[in-house]
Amino acid sequence: MGLLLTVTVGLVLADSAIVTLALPEMLEQLDASVTEVAWVLISYNLVLGVLAVPAALRPLRVRPRILAAAGIAVFAGASAWCAAAPTIEVLIAARCLQAVGGAFALVGALELLVARSGERRGVAAWVTAGVVGTAAGPVAGGLLTEAISWQAIFIAQVPFAALAVPAALAVRTRHQGQAVPEPAVSHRPVIGHNVTLALLSAALTAALFLLVLLLVEGWRHSPATAALTVSVIPVAALAAQPLARLLRTTPDLELAAGCVLVAGGLVGLALPPSADLWWTVAPQALVGLGLGLSVDELTHRAMEDRLPRARHAAWTISARHLGVVVGLAVLTPVFTADLLDAEEPATEAIAALVLDAPLQPDDKISVARALGSHLTDQRGQVPELDGAFAELDVRAEDEAAVADLERGLDDQLDRSVSLAFRDSYLVGAGLAALALLSVGLTAAAGAARRSRARRSLV
Amino acid sequence: MSAGLRAGVLPGLALALVAGVVGAQVAAGGGDFAPLRPADACADRAVTSQADGIEGLTEQLVLRGIDDAACTLDVSREALTLELAQQEEPTDAQVDAVRDGLRAAVGELADEDALPPSSSLVDEALEGSDLNRFVKGAIRLVPDSVVDDALPTEDVLTRAVDELDVRAVLSDLDDAEALNEAVQDAVTQAVRDELTDRVRNLV
Repeated sequence: MGLLLTVTVGLVLADSAIVTLALPEMLEQLDASVTEVAWVLISYNLVLGVLAVPAALRPLRVRPRILAAAGIAVFAGASAWCAAAPTIEVLIAARCLQAVGGAFALVGALELLVARSGERRGVAAWVTAGVVGTAAGPVAGGLLTEAISWQAIFIAQVPFAALAVPAALAVRTRHQGQAVPEPAVSHRPVIGHNVTLALLSAALTAALFLLVLLLVEGWRHSPATAALTVSVIPVAALAAQPLARLLRTTPDLELAAGCVLVAGGLVGLALPPSADLWWTVAPQALVGLGLGLSVDELTHRAMEDRLPRARHAAWTISARHLGVVVGLAVLTPVFTADLLDAEEPATEAIAALVLDAPLQPDDKISVARALGSHLTDQRGQVPELDGAFAELDVRAEDEAAVADLERGLDDQLDRSVSLAFRDSYLVGAGLAALALLSVGLTAAAGAARRSRARRSLV
Repeated sequence: MSAGLRAGVLPGLALALVAGVVGAQVAAGGGDFAPLRPADACADRAVTSQADGIEGLTEQLVLRGIDDAACTLDVSREALTLELAQQEEPTDAQVDAVRDGLRAAVGELADEDALPPSSSLVDEALEGSDLNRFVKGAIRLVPDSVVDDALPTEDVLTRAVDELDVRAVLSDLDDAEALNEAVQDAVTQAVRDELTDRVRNLV
């Protein structure tokens, strides 16, 4: 029962980015624009971020079994609706409903996990499921899209969620059948940690969202290859906690280390020496370690000794998902503008290579004509050049040079696209640096508060 | 290890990892992974062709001519090529720059002693000509040295450029073969005209 609830928490949070690798397929199949497709991602995070705190209001939270079961049922039904959506508008509406169910499911599941496993273990399971779900979402989505279709992402969630509904109803709480009593005190939300969480989530959007776009749309890898590549992040995130236990430090320094690692990883992603996937591994490992060190620690500290627990958990959900929305809102215009700006230098680089290609003039003219019509057909997106070369009929003596030219042109495209993503990664790194600043300010404010308290005691 | 030192290990490790990864990326050329930048059109550029004869000569003339035209118009060679390919009609400035560029290209090749002797162009020129077979035969009997002395290649090519309808050629760039053919035809025609003039004068 506990496992099913934990998996559901992971699923709800994985849905934040699970469709990232499926966006190109959705764009094509649902005949949508890039902006519309981006709303498949934004709508979910926005609704979840906005509704999380209201979902934790007292009248709703008093019967967590009902709250969780109803939320999970809505989430399951909306997931099935997403899979059956015939248009982009319906899909966006279904994603909003999915997020509504998700918000109630998250709040209810936290209360049930605590009731079942105790405060410490229940909260830890809820937080860890969220971190793993967030990091593993794009990987799972990419593999399902490649193996089956984008609809499979949503269909696969339905059985887990459907089984979690009776599991939620079956959890025995201390207040079986009665309303959970409201705690005597009600703490204010911890602004510092929640702001840090939002900034870090916005920064992580660069890694989780932009990296998969770079791999699939920019470097033209399959969703499965991209999914396997980005699996470095969740693996590294899982390794972060054993590392933190080994090198025990203060919570503030652990958070600072996490922010430094995320920022450094994003700088590394901004500066790949080539389009070889291996160059993304080490930067991703840094991001994953940073995510593992910081997100669950921040979530714990934003909830630590704060009552009512569910409302403070909801603030962390809200901070994370509104952070993702802010990240998308900040990064998307930057990289789409840079991608448009990259078109001219990329075309000029292609022209330079074709003009200087060691080919017979008639073959050179054939290549130029094929590329010209191909690039015109694919204006506004990163072009696939292999189609242009597949149609070519060149003399045998020029075949090797044409193959070299195709490799050279692909390299120029990789270079242009990588450069177009650079600023967005650096903006992401800047957001992580702001998160580091927020950690410092929160720590300084905490130290000042403790000092004042000591002085007043004296 | 003291508690303070121990507390600093994780942040220190994080900084070291970041410095190591970013340093390795930059050392491997991470900052320079950018598309090829168009070269200065006014700078000297080695231009070669894989083809021989009139076709190779034509390619060299076009590539050098576009370079010179781009230099005159203060744009890159690639930008000018793409502009010409995408425009419906070339501007007067572009037409003039390309014509001057082609003329300059002939002069550059002559200065570099890279122009082939005109006798090497004769067979190809006669191949597609509509001269009667007696005139063709008479021309083929003329020794190469006489042809080369009588027909300086630079003069032939300059005449070809002057007679080339540059505006029509640039307007028809959608059909890239037409460009090549038009320039080749102009060269062939110029060689042929010069030759027939000389042979008729001789006869």
